Amino acid sequence: MTYEGVDFYDIESELTDEEKMVRDMARDWVEAEVVPNIEQACRDGVFPDEWRVALGEMGVLGMALDGYGCAGMSYVAYGLVCQELERGDSGVRSFASVQGSLAMYPIHDFGSEEQKQKYLPKMASGEWVGCFGLTEPDYGSNPGDMITKAVDEGDDYVLNGAKMWITNGTIADVAIVWAKLDGVIRGFIVEKDDPGFSAPEMTGKYSLRASVTSELVFQDCKIPKDRILPHVEGLKGPFSCLNNARYGICWGAVGAAQSCFHSSKEYALSRIQFGNPIAAFQLVQNKLAWMLREITKGQLLALSLGRKKDAGTWTPEQISLAKMNNVDMALEIARMARDIHGANGILDEYPIMRHMANLESVKTYEGTHDIHNLILGRHITGIQSFTREL
Amino acid sequence: MVTIAVLLKQVPDTTARITVSDGRVDETAISTWVTSPYDEYALEVAIQHKEASGASITAITLGPPRADKVLKDAAALGVENLVRVWDDAWESLDSNQVQAALSTILEGVGADWIYCGKQSADRNQGSTGPGVAERLGMACIVEISDWDVTGAQPSFTRATSSGNERLAPTPPIVLTFTKTETELRRPNVRGIMAAKKANIEVVGADIGDAQVQVVAHNPPPQKPEGRKFEGAESVPEVVGLLRNEAKVI
Repeated sequence: MTYEGVDFYDIESELTDEEKMVRDMARDWVEAEVVPNIEQACRDGVFPDEWRVALGEMGVLGMALDGYGCAGMSYVAYGLVCQELERGDSGVRSFASVQGSLAMYPIHDFGSEEQKQKYLPKMASGEWVGCFGLTEPDYGSNPGDMITKAVDEGDDYVLNGAKMWITNGTIADVAIVWAKLDGVIRGFIVEKDDPGFSAPEMTGKYSLRASVTSELVFQDCKIPKDRILPHVEGLKGPFSCLNNARYGICWGAVGAAQSCFHSSKEYALSRIQFGNPIAAFQLVQNKLAWMLREITKGQLLALSLGRKKDAGTWTPEQISLAKMNNVDMALEIARMARDIHGANGILDEYPIMRHMANLESVKTYEGTHDIHNLILGRHITGIQSFTREL
Repeated sequence: MVTIAVLLKQVPDTTARITVSDGRVDETAISTWVTSPYDEYALEVAIQHKEASGASITAITLGPPRADKVLKDAAALGVENLVRVWDDAWESLDSNQVQAALSTILEGVGADWIYCGKQSADRNQGSTGPGVAERLGMACIVEISDWDVTGAQPSFTRATSSGNERLAPTPPIVLTFTKTETELRRPNVRGIMAAKKANIEVVGADIGDAQVQVVAHNPPPQKPEGRKFEGAESVPEVVGLLRNEAKVI
């Protein structure tokens, strides 16, 4: 049966033909290439390189950016792609999010014309992989106190410091690195062969296994002066990147939730206990109804946010609410799906535990669930509660 | 310049649930419409032929406005010219009328190579390719399963009862395709953006009167309820039924 997705509120009728075509393109690819191979990729702990090539060929990397090899599609179309990719696996959506929202976007919006021409076409095609270095071992939710710094040494900048939890880091050709220059946060483009730069892979993950996670280490890393992003200073730079990535996550989480819902529905209809499919039991129906309810709300939230983004009217607080809500509901649906699947739910014959483990990471990356709550708390009360003197 | 025409039919998704209401298939209940799978093979060959020769492709479909989707999907893969043949007065055309409509358009296009699937996935008649060829006074090769369109002389292979035959046709000609190992490529985002601007020409045609009237559609008979056997002691009975009743072993 061709996968059709959950569409209880006829969201299909709200989409343009192009948005549906792009969604279907990503859906077909995920069905043909990701779903049959993702469990093996997770066991092996690799992001298959052919997926990088395919994502580039499909043109989904940086697809909402204009020019320089990017398609300039709507952010709703981009969101729909994220939904389909994460239905396959959060690691696949993470690859596309990092490449498009965290690495290409800052070059596109804050880079020089020469930087755009040099990097964006090759990143859009997937030939070059990008990563984004903001988080440090001791500074996660509090990036403003980062230690990594850049020093002006005449013809070059010299970087020292370390970044952690960097998706795509080890396989990246280009790293967008945020560091303090004279006490001000600035963006720098570091290339993989720059002297003093290394990106060892972090191992031992139980989550996002089909995704490369790395440290970035800078030991007197010397880069030419023309690698600074000239048009942004301060936390506005990385935060605007993160807003775009969080938007992709709010759609992606809907995809992961749909995967768990579909598996649960099929399992409940085929699993016989006490002479009946377990789908006939009220407690199971209650769980499935809750899943449908939350997925539908999440879809409407994501679509509404996407239309606001395309109209240029979204706010960071709206993004926080959508990211937080949708990841939260997806994780809860994954746990509920595990319950419906009983013992079978722990096997990699089903996608449940993989999505659950992935979503545990998604809940705390790109702004933790709690930090998004604090952003909303500040919006409601006018009082920021991130810092206080104790 | 070499010109290629590819005939694409929109059909219900092959896994769509078909319901019959008042003796007619209820098209409004079909949620997903797709390009007929055999036509997709024809489209892939057309695109490969274009890539090798610099040809232009005209995709033609016959159907109501919903059939625009198959043309837009083709445009996303680089097909330049899109034509939909339709008249709102048309209903349940017979094979003669379909061939008349398509032939009229094809005469205007003047294609050297006319590609289509060997049959549609809904009606399964297999009459369109040969019928169009007859009307246009062209030869027709059916059920092609392999091809080489990279050189100046394209060649096509089809299975016969004694093996395969490889044929080198001189255009203009009609070619129909069966299932092959080469699936239709996926579009990409840039192609889809280009398809957004593609123009679909909607034309009518003189198709005469229908010779065939549909009296009624009937759903296929429901499958008999399955039978359940439990325990090792039922193995001989199951084997016996498989051998003597189902005749599958």
